Amino acid sequence: MVILDPESNIPLYMQLRTQIIESIVRGNLSKGDTLPSVRGLAGDLGINMHTVNKSYHELEAKGIIEIVPKKGAVIIADTEKGPSKKQREDITEELRPAVAEALVHGMKEEDLHQLISEIILIVKEV
Amino acid sequence: MEFAILFITIIFVSVFQIFIPFFAKRTVVFGVSIPNEQIKNPKVMKYKKIYTIITSIMALIVLGGFFFWNQGQNVNETQLALAGMMIPFIVLLVGLALYLYFHFTLSKLKKSQNWYRDVKQVYYADLATRSKDEMLAPFAHLMPIIISAGLVILTVNVYDRLPSQIPTHWGPTGQADAFSNKSWMTALGLPIILIIMQLMFFAINLFTKKSGIKINPGNVTSSKLRQLRLRKYTSWFLFVVNILLSLLFAILQLNLIYENVVNETFMMILPLGFMVITLAGTIWLAVKVGSVDSDFEGKPIMENTNNVEAMDEDKYWKGGLFYYNRNDPSVFVEKRFGIGYTLNFANPIGYLIIILPIVLICILPFFFNK
Repeated sequence: MVILDPESNIPLYMQLRTQIIESIVRGNLSKGDTLPSVRGLAGDLGINMHTVNKSYHELEAKGIIEIVPKKGAVIIADTEKGPSKKQREDITEELRPAVAEALVHGMKEEDLHQLISEIILIVKEV
Repeated sequence: MEFAILFITIIFVSVFQIFIPFFAKRTVVFGVSIPNEQIKNPKVMKYKKIYTIITSIMALIVLGGFFFWNQGQNVNETQLALAGMMIPFIVLLVGLALYLYFHFTLSKLKKSQNWYRDVKQVYYADLATRSKDEMLAPFAHLMPIIISAGLVILTVNVYDRLPSQIPTHWGPTGQADAFSNKSWMTALGLPIILIIMQLMFFAINLFTKKSGIKINPGNVTSSKLRQLRLRKYTSWFLFVVNILLSLLFAILQLNLIYENVVNETFMMILPLGFMVITLAGTIWLAVKVGSVDSDFEGKPIMENTNNVEAMDEDKYWKGGLFYYNRNDPSVFVEKRFGIGYTLNFANPIGYLIIILPIVLICILPFFFNK
């Protein structure tokens, strides 16, 4: 299930990317599953193909899906296996500004840990 | 006999026209997107009722007029055929005029009362729906092409033995009533037209399959079921039409090659049977699709708790009739008024699939030397 909000500040392609990742985390999609074709999903959503294409390419760059000719976008992310060194670096890079923002507002470290635990629960349970 | 066929066809067209607002989607009334909470709006219901009353009265007048006209005077066959062709068009035109009137009235009402003010509009897709899609595989439409290929080969083989005059037009009784001089073009005309149509059916099926499965997030269960049924049953219907058309053309061509091998009664029943099966198929399609997510479903929409709904797509429907959305890669989308599909006019592939074959078939007779 994908719900994109056109009035959000987050661009559509990022919303789509995040929701596909969350579907995998929740187990709605698992390793080996194929995502709909770019044309198919763009048609279902009624959005531009470039938007879907951009999401798929980002997921591919992150090592979450693999775009196999003739077969489509296959999920290769394994929720059991830990991230690679490169993936860990990427996550650090993306998390850093948010952590910095938390610190600049004087957030305590335990509070930050608490917040992450809450987010994990939200992602897994929705 | 001819009168009965025309009369039944007119009844059929009228009944269909009268009930369209009730088997169209609940959330699209006279081609206007409305939020779930407005489905039972008294004005919306009133417009639907007025439409149905006016179209019913008009249908009764037209049918009565046609009946007494045929009873009273000495009506010749040409006049009858002409009237039988015109009347369904009149019914459709009146329906269309009423549709447009209520479309613009409702659009105005919706805008003035700002129906979408408290509704969050989102894009919605279900990543798993495509695996539940039961549309017929497009290649099924390639199988009847074997029949066409067989007809071409057979015709080429016996070309020398064919008569010098080749039938190019058939009357309602299935008997040829116009002829042209023998040439490769006239002898192979039927199979060529058949192949063009079969390829068109193949392309329609292929691109419908690739088109979007539109689900309304405010009403997931019903809207999904309706989309899946529409896809499944239209693809089957198209396949049945393809088979029937192939058989009809094959029999006409065999009759042409072997000079009336098929007996006359059979030739009379054939087009009639074709029509009966097609009409029955249309009713079946309307019942299967039109009973879901429409006023006929009866059940109220229960699941709209988070107050998100499908995007208001009215701006993509030009004049309330033509879908033009550059962003949507779909070639075919569900009609807003009626059962079936319409083109996304912003997508050039659609023109190629529908207009090109029609143009080809229309210009073909100019290659027949009379």
